[in-house]
Amino acid sequence: MSIAARGLWLLGSIGVTALLVLSWQLIANYGGIPPVFLPGPDRAWSALVAGFSGGELAGLTGATVERMIYGWVLASLAGIALGAVIGSSQVAREYVAPMLEIVRPVPVSAFMPVVMAFLGLTGTMVLVVIAIGSIWPVLLATVHGVSSVEPRLVEVSQSLRLSRFKTLWKIALPNAQADILAGMRIGLTVALILAVIGEMLTSENGLGWSILQAARAYRSADLFAGVIVLGVIGLVSNLALQSIERYVLRWKRR
Amino acid sequence: MQCAANTKNQGCETGYCMINVAPLPRADAAVPLIAFHGVSHMFGNRPVLQDINLTINKSEFVCMVGPSGCGKTTMLRMVGGLQTPATGEVTFAGKRVAGPAREISFMFQDYSKALLPWRTAAGNVSLALEANGVPTGQRAARIKDLLGKVGLANHADHFPVQLSGGMQQRVQIARCLAQEPSVLLMDEPFGALDAMTRQALQDEILRIIQASRTTVVFVTHDLEEAIYLGDRVVALYPNPGRIAQVFDVDLPKPRNQLTTRESPSFLRLRRALFDFIREGEA
Repeated sequence: MSIAARGLWLLGSIGVTALLVLSWQLIANYGGIPPVFLPGPDRAWSALVAGFSGGELAGLTGATVERMIYGWVLASLAGIALGAVIGSSQVAREYVAPMLEIVRPVPVSAFMPVVMAFLGLTGTMVLVVIAIGSIWPVLLATVHGVSSVEPRLVEVSQSLRLSRFKTLWKIALPNAQADILAGMRIGLTVALILAVIGEMLTSENGLGWSILQAARAYRSADLFAGVIVLGVIGLVSNLALQSIERYVLRWKRR
Repeated sequence: MQCAANTKNQGCETGYCMINVAPLPRADAAVPLIAFHGVSHMFGNRPVLQDINLTINKSEFVCMVGPSGCGKTTMLRMVGGLQTPATGEVTFAGKRVAGPAREISFMFQDYSKALLPWRTAAGNVSLALEANGVPTGQRAARIKDLLGKVGLANHADHFPVQLSGGMQQRVQIARCLAQEPSVLLMDEPFGALDAMTRQALQDEILRIIQASRTTVVFVTHDLEEAIYLGDRVVALYPNPGRIAQVFDVDLPKPRNQLTTRESPSFLRLRRALFDFIREGEA
């Protein structure tokens, strides 16, 4: 794409966003919806500015992001390790696959009461729930990537007499890297969702909790400010992972 | 092969001679490096190899030719320990081949599948060094030397997708050499390359092999390539694969793409092999 065309696209997408914000403002001003339920972008923005200048919103954001990342890293590490074991062994795949297929579709929210019973309404419980929820995309992607090595590469590793562990480490896992990264990207979104829900349930400090508080107190501007911050977190983390992906998978580009 | 040598001594003017069965080595004779003893093999119900007897000596360059379905690749895979014969046995240095060995290196035809796409040229060569337990500190110098040998000194940081087919196959040659093998098994390594690249790589292999005295078993369906490279050419009949004839190549070394290919004995061998293959197809 030429620079001019790319500029035009950028201009277009900015225009659409501006149009949406403008119509939001118009609806808030003249739509007849009470301001306790719907603030205009102007009020949401000033709540955002006030929240960050007071330092409160930054603290809440930090708490939620920290929770999200801890749970996600935990899930990713466990998912890759477990996926590597399952994916590299035909026997393990046959034994474990049916169970995975039963557990995987169960909504994480169904696990929450179970985890709560063991850990109570605590930060640890939220962390565990995030880990349980965001492990699946990584786990399944790793199993697939590790078990779908090009047969010729299997022969190369046999011919070089690589040990089972070295084959996994040097061939099967690198072979799975594209799948793993895609799984981790989905997992991160799941982790953010579960961090917010977990905070709402446990009243642990964070954006989820503060949004709920704002809603209960009819502070609609604060509520929207929180939602905007969550959107930005999702956007930034996705962009960051995309650029990591681009670097790690640079061997695919000509 | 002893039989071939004997026949030649008796005056085999054509430069090749017919043999049916290679004699098993006597206890007092030098043990051949690689030997097939009565090897037969089936894929399902289809016989692919029938009673193969063949010995290959150290530092020999043996080419195997024949139409598809003659089992030449299967024979190569048996030496490489990637396939076990149903009957009979293949021995390496007097011992039965039970699996891949460090001294034997296998070079695949499909270079784009046989290289790790996520590793650079240097990284791919490194894999063989890592497999052999070469300490990290010594690898860089070895890799540089090996890539230099195959003319890729300036492409060490390139990923396979950034290299041409010929360059990718050179990376695979370097990886095989990194194993420091005493036997190099090559399965139609230049079959997918254009004519110019193929000739350049033929000469490179000959040059490298000459220096290291490595034994080579080379599978190809290109008869001229087989004559140009080989000390002996083993011709196989298909369905099931049988050794039909073994040709001794009496061409001076080093070989030359022009003069060798124009020499009368090259043309005579070429004619003999062509006639022979045509008979097999009839």
